[in-house]
Amino acid sequence: MRIFKNSALLLVVLYALAAAAQMQLPSGTLQRVEIEFAARLAGKPVTCGAQYEGVGTKKSTVTPQDLRFFVSDIDLLDANGKAVPVTLDQDGVWQYKSLTLIDLEDGKGACRNGNPAMHTGATGTVPAGNYRGLRFTVGVPFELDHISPLSAPSPLNMTAMFWSWQGGYKFIRAEVALAGNSANAAGPMVENKAPAHTEAPGDRSPRSSGFPVHVGSTGCASASPTTAPAAECKNPNRISVMLPDFDPAKDVVIFDLGKLLADSDVTTNTPNTAPGCMSGENDSDCIPIMKALGLSFRSVPASPQVVFYREAK
Amino acid sequence: MSPGPSNWGSLIRRRPTLLLPLGAFALVLFAGPVWWRAQARDSQLSQSTLQWVKPGWAPVPLVPADNPMTSAKVQLGRLLFYDKRLSIDQSMSCGRCHQQAKAFTDGERTHVGVNGLPGTRNAMTLTNVAYYPTYTWANPIITSLERQMLVPLFGDHPLEMGMVGHEDELAARLSQDGEYPALFAAAFPEDGGRIDLQHITKAIAAFERTLLSFNSPYDRYKQGDTNAISASAKRGEALFFGERLECYHCHDGVNFTDNHIQQGQAFPEQGFHNTGLYNEDGQGAYKSWDHGLRDVTLRAEDEGAFRTPTLRNVAVTAPYMHDGSLPTLEVVIRQHYAVKGHSAISGKGPNPLRSEFIEGFKLSNREVRDLIAFLNSLTDQSFLDNPALSDPRASASGVRAGKTGTQTGGDEHASNK
Repeated sequence: MRIFKNSALLLVVLYALAAAAQMQLPSGTLQRVEIEFAARLAGKPVTCGAQYEGVGTKKSTVTPQDLRFFVSDIDLLDANGKAVPVTLDQDGVWQYKSLTLIDLEDGKGACRNGNPAMHTGATGTVPAGNYRGLRFTVGVPFELDHISPLSAPSPLNMTAMFWSWQGGYKFIRAEVALAGNSANAAGPMVENKAPAHTEAPGDRSPRSSGFPVHVGSTGCASASPTTAPAAECKNPNRISVMLPDFDPAKDVVIFDLGKLLADSDVTTNTPNTAPGCMSGENDSDCIPIMKALGLSFRSVPASPQVVFYREAK
Repeated sequence: MSPGPSNWGSLIRRRPTLLLPLGAFALVLFAGPVWWRAQARDSQLSQSTLQWVKPGWAPVPLVPADNPMTSAKVQLGRLLFYDKRLSIDQSMSCGRCHQQAKAFTDGERTHVGVNGLPGTRNAMTLTNVAYYPTYTWANPIITSLERQMLVPLFGDHPLEMGMVGHEDELAARLSQDGEYPALFAAAFPEDGGRIDLQHITKAIAAFERTLLSFNSPYDRYKQGDTNAISASAKRGEALFFGERLECYHCHDGVNFTDNHIQQGQAFPEQGFHNTGLYNEDGQGAYKSWDHGLRDVTLRAEDEGAFRTPTLRNVAVTAPYMHDGSLPTLEVVIRQHYAVKGHSAISGKGPNPLRSEFIEGFKLSNREVRDLIAFLNSLTDQSFLDNPALSDPRASASGVRAGKTGTQTGGDEHASNK
């Protein structure tokens, strides 16, 4: 009797589950997906603390100082080329809405302003299907870029990505230090210990201690000083990446630091400009950087980006 | 209402709960709805409330809706403002570049950051900083003190306090302190006294909003004390507000700046101007490392434009201009404004983009002295000396955190009671 009762209960439960499954059927079943990212330099994986030779136009030896960037609006492309959005896991740390922070530094070596935690893959779900392509945006969507970072959810509360004077976030924070520079040995946790640039009178050495690349929206002043910009910034500087033939199960997205810096002389800084390239319109060091990222800069129109590409795992 | 002499020294005072009904009435009467809300909330959350200590004629600052003023917050903010643990190597507090005796400036052209590199800009006075609609020398994007301080704390270029990437370490340092956890709990009971960036910036901003200065000899003169300033200063006043010098077109209003927001004001007033300090190329270019407003807006017409600074306490805030390049008020008058901008004598002629009010003028030596006497009359010594605004760890008469509630300094009858 008791067994029968339990079995009846079981049947009811099974029915309920089946009904629930039925109800889900119209929207299709979901499958897990992870888009993996990795950094490369001269064909080698990039690790904080390691040295890399032959970087930039002067074939310099560098060590990574930071490697983080925001990725948003990830779509997989089906066999017909139709874009299907990836719904990101809302993990409370790295992913928020359609945004994820990819963190390829581990706080070691010259990456001392970073942290041990890394985030190398965007995780989420897509409707089950066959996908053969990937597209995403590097950057923070406009509607999230100008919220107050003080009350913003993670990962938008990480100060390393704050870009307060521009009223937004750095989309990319990729920095290398020149190897052999004493400032880059373990020591005080500050960057650019040696005169790297020329912010003020009396400091005009073009000698650089490294080459930081900070990319984000510029020209974001709004009509009213009490509101966030209502319209897009003059230079949004968001990078659209399209990778045909990308299979999330077999491929990884490469962020190629070597290609980013290929046409830059990382040993010098244009006098009286920000160190490296910090997206400044007045900074000639940004010309090759923006070109590599496929962004228009000054009067130079955008060309295809070469920094992000597909590679088999 | 006519303020009594030197009544405004104390900027904040605590009121015991018993006096709340009386205090609430005064707040409604003189301070308006924001204060009513803050006070009502306070009465549930802490045993004290807060009122602006300023003369009744002075405007009521606008306070962000999510950061109402409470004395617990101000007290915490004051300790944080003077705390060197807010810089990466624990060498520099906010108070390093904002020293009370110099009206919260540092006397340097620009200050060196924790990485040993010079900054680009002169530390601004925090006198009446609550009334600005935008912050820093030229940034229309930064519209609150809460967000302004992210620049010195976490900026990369120039690096100032160097905490970028170290927000967790900052919170840990403060959490390990013997006093802070209780102070954060008192200031932010609704959030369990969490020690984080949001609360750190809110508390410091609340303290900064108490940096009110309305007790200069010139204020007393304007309120009816005809002997409060000298005859020379009165002649200087006439020059300042005259059409020959045109100073007041930008340095106008209660704070001698055309940037102003206060409670009840529908729209903020903003003024960014090119004063012709530089002209590097004959076409109006400023130094390549600082284009002022243009660096933010990317508009060519904003080249060299900077926010008009207040002239309150200007006599103690040398050196001058956005880069601290002019050492004295006399140089500013004779070698800058009198000659259509400094670039007329040091660069490639007067800057073609400069404000239309900078057309130069001739002044006798006596007139220069008079103008400076007027500017000197804007110094509020009670502000520079007010123990309630000093470093509480350094000053014997200052508040010991979390122990005594009364902030002393100035006498009892604040005129907005």
